[in-house]
Amino acid sequence: MTRTRTPGISRRSTLALMGAGAMSVAAPWVARAQAKTVKIGMPTILSGRVAQLGTSSRNAVMLEVDKVNAAGGLAGRQIEMVVRDSKGAPQEAARVARELVNTDGCELLLDGEASSGSFAVHEVARDLGVLCIHTNSEASSLTADPKQHIPNAFRCVRQGIHDSIVGGSYAAGIAKAKGLKKWATCSPDYAYGRDTTGEFTLYLKRFAPDVEVISESWPKLFQPDYTEVVTKILQAKPQALYSCLWGGDLTSYIDQANIYAMFAQMEVFAVNMADYTALTVVKNLPKGIHSGNRYIKTYPSTPENAAWGDAYKAKYNEYPTNWSWQNATAVMFLAEAAKKANSTDGKKIAEVLAGLTIKCPFGADGTVTMRGDDHTLVGYAIGWGTTIPQEPYVPEVKAGDWKTIFELEAEWKKSKGYT
Amino acid sequence: MTELEAGRAQALLPVRSGAALQRYRDVLIALIAFAVLASLPMFTGSEALLDFVIRCSAYGLFATSLNLLVGYTGLTSFGHGMFFGLGAYSFGLIMQKLGVPIPVAFVATLAITAVIAAVIGAICVRLKDIYFAFVTLAFQMLIHSTILSWASFTGGDQGLRGGIPRPVFLGIDLANHVHLYVASCALLILGLLAMRQIAQSPFGYTLRMIRDNAARASFLGIDVWRAKLTVFVLAALFASMGGMVMALFVSGAYPEFAYWTISGEGIFINMLGGVSTFLGPMVGTVLLLLLNDTVTRFTEYHGIVLGVVILFFALGLRKGLLDFVAEWYTHRRDAGEGR
Repeated sequence: MTRTRTPGISRRSTLALMGAGAMSVAAPWVARAQAKTVKIGMPTILSGRVAQLGTSSRNAVMLEVDKVNAAGGLAGRQIEMVVRDSKGAPQEAARVARELVNTDGCELLLDGEASSGSFAVHEVARDLGVLCIHTNSEASSLTADPKQHIPNAFRCVRQGIHDSIVGGSYAAGIAKAKGLKKWATCSPDYAYGRDTTGEFTLYLKRFAPDVEVISESWPKLFQPDYTEVVTKILQAKPQALYSCLWGGDLTSYIDQANIYAMFAQMEVFAVNMADYTALTVVKNLPKGIHSGNRYIKTYPSTPENAAWGDAYKAKYNEYPTNWSWQNATAVMFLAEAAKKANSTDGKKIAEVLAGLTIKCPFGADGTVTMRGDDHTLVGYAIGWGTTIPQEPYVPEVKAGDWKTIFELEAEWKKSKGYT
Repeated sequence: MTELEAGRAQALLPVRSGAALQRYRDVLIALIAFAVLASLPMFTGSEALLDFVIRCSAYGLFATSLNLLVGYTGLTSFGHGMFFGLGAYSFGLIMQKLGVPIPVAFVATLAITAVIAAVIGAICVRLKDIYFAFVTLAFQMLIHSTILSWASFTGGDQGLRGGIPRPVFLGIDLANHVHLYVASCALLILGLLAMRQIAQSPFGYTLRMIRDNAARASFLGIDVWRAKLTVFVLAALFASMGGMVMALFVSGAYPEFAYWTISGEGIFINMLGGVSTFLGPMVGTVLLLLLNDTVTRFTEYHGIVLGVVILFFALGLRKGLLDFVAEWYTHRRDAGEGR
C-alpha cells in the first residue's frame, strides 16, 4: 500500500497556521475595538405593570445611541448599551446598577427607574461615584432636596412641580373665563398623586382665588373599578375635575366614567392624558379633556419633533412615550457633553453637563438646559391643550411660561426648606 | 434515687454528651465557614461576588428564620416579610434621625421588632393553618400601608432617602465595601448558629412536637401558645437582622421590603431549598439569587424561567433540593448497610 499523503505541510497545520495568522492580524483590532467602546449601563423596568414604559425608554435610548455611534461615538468611542431589568424593585435596581458598574465595566449610568428605584440607584451613584443621569423619576425631591445632591448625578426628566405650576395657571385661566368655581379632584393614593394634586390646587387657587375644592377622591393605585369614585364625583356636582391618574388607571377611569356621561357634565383636567399610551388605548376618547403634554409629536410643533416621533414610530411600530423623549434627551446631553469635554470620563462630563444648554427637539424654544445649581432639566416643552378623539389628539397646546415656572419654583423650594 | 431513675439518668448521659458534641461540631463548622467567607476578598477582587454574599446574608437570615416557623413549628406565615421591612426601616430611621452608633441602632431595632412581633404574634399564633397565614398577611399589609401613608416619617413610597449614615465603630467602617461584607458574613454565621441552637435545643424539639401533634404536646403539659409565640418573636428577630443587612447594602429602606412579595420570595426560597433540613433555606437562597442574577442578565422574561424551575421542584422533585439530596443520601446509606 502506498501512502497517499505527500510530505510537506498538512491540511491541518495549514489551517492552524491560517488561523494563527488571522488571529495575529486581528488581535490588535479586537483589543482596540474593546478599549474603544464605552459601556453605558441602564437599569430600568422591563417586566410588570409599567414594562411598556421601560421598553419605550430602552427604544428611545437605542434610537439615539445608533445616531451617536454613526456620527463617531462618544468622544470617538462607540457606545455599547447594557440594559437590564430591575422589575421595579429598589433592591434589584441597586443590585443591577452595582453589577453594571462593578462587573460589566459600565463607565456611565442611565437610570431608567421610577420613584423608589431611582432613589436606590442614586445611592449607588453616591457610593461608587459613577456619572448617573436619572431619566424617568419625576419626584421633585430627587434634585430639589439638597440632601440628595451629589456632583455626579443629574436628572433629565420633567418634574411634578413644573407640571403643577403650568397646569394651575392654565386651569385658572379657564376657570375664570368659564366661571368654574366648584372643583373636585380624583388622583391615585400615593406620594405622586397626593403631592401633584396638592400642588396643582395650590397654584389653581393662587391664580383663581375664588375656586373651591368640594370633593376629593383617592382611588388606590392600579384599582380596577372606579364606579364608586365616579358616582361620588357626580353626586358632588362639581363644575370641574382634576385628576393625575395615569396609564392604565386613567384609561379605565375614562372608559368607566364615559358610561355615566361624566365628561359632558364638567370640565375635566387630566394632566397625564396627552400621552400616546393613554390616548390610543381609551375606547371613546371624549372631546375637550384638558391635558398637559406628556409626549406628543405635534408639540412642540416643529419639524424636528415630528421627524423624531415618526422615526421612532417607523422603527418600533408604536408612538414614543413621555419616558422616551426624556431618555433620548439624556443621550443627547451625554453626546454633547462628551464632545465638549473631549472625553468619556464621568467627572469631566459632569463638569460640562452642569449648566449645559443643547439643541433638542423637545425644548420649548428648541433648546433644553441642565440647570447648574440643582442638576435638573429645565426649558423643555411644557403646555396644556384639549383633546379630540382622533389624531393628532391634542391639536393645539398652550405653552407654559418658563419665567413664571422659575419664579414659583424658587418660592416652592423655599417653602419646603430646600433653599 | 430509685433503680428506675438511675437507669434513666444513665440512658440520658450519652444523649447529653452527644448534644454537646454536636454543638461543638456546629460551632466548628460555623467558624470554618466564617473563615472561608471572610478570607474571600483576599483571593478575589470581584465586587459582584461580595455583593452576592451580602445579599445572600440578608435573604438567608430571612428565609432560615421563616423556616423556624414553617419547617419546625408548622406555622406557614405569609407575612414574615413585615419583619424584614421593619428591621430595615427601624434601623434606617434610627441612624438617620438619632445618629447613634451602629451597634446601638442594631440592638434598638431588635428591641422594637421584639415588641411589635410579640403584639402581632399574640394575636396570630392562636390561629391555625390558613387563618394564621392570612392574618399574618393582613398584618404585613397593615405595616406596608402604614409605611406608605406615613410619608412625613417614612418617606412614603419613595422610601428613606438621603442614604443611611455609617459612623465608624470599633474600627469597623461599614461605608467600606469589604468591612460591610465581613460584617454581613459575621451576622449571617452568628444568626445561623443561633437558629441552629434553637432548632436543636429541647425547645426546638418541643416545636417539632407542636408541628406534628399540638394536642398531644398540650396534654404533655406544654404551653403551646407560649411556645409558638416565643418562636414567632425569635424568627422575627432574625428576619429583622436580614432587613438591616439589606438596608445597609442599598443604603436606604423602601416600602417594597415590607410588601407581600418579600414574604412570597421567602416561601419560594424554602420550597427551592427544602424545609426538612436546617440549611435547606440557605441552599434555596443561593439558588434563587443565582438564578435571578443569571437569568436577568439575559432576558426580561425571567418570570417564565423561575416559574419553570419551581414547577420542576414542585412536580419533579416534589421537595426542596437539600431535602432531595438528604433523602437520596439516606437511601443510599441504608441500601449499603442492607447489603
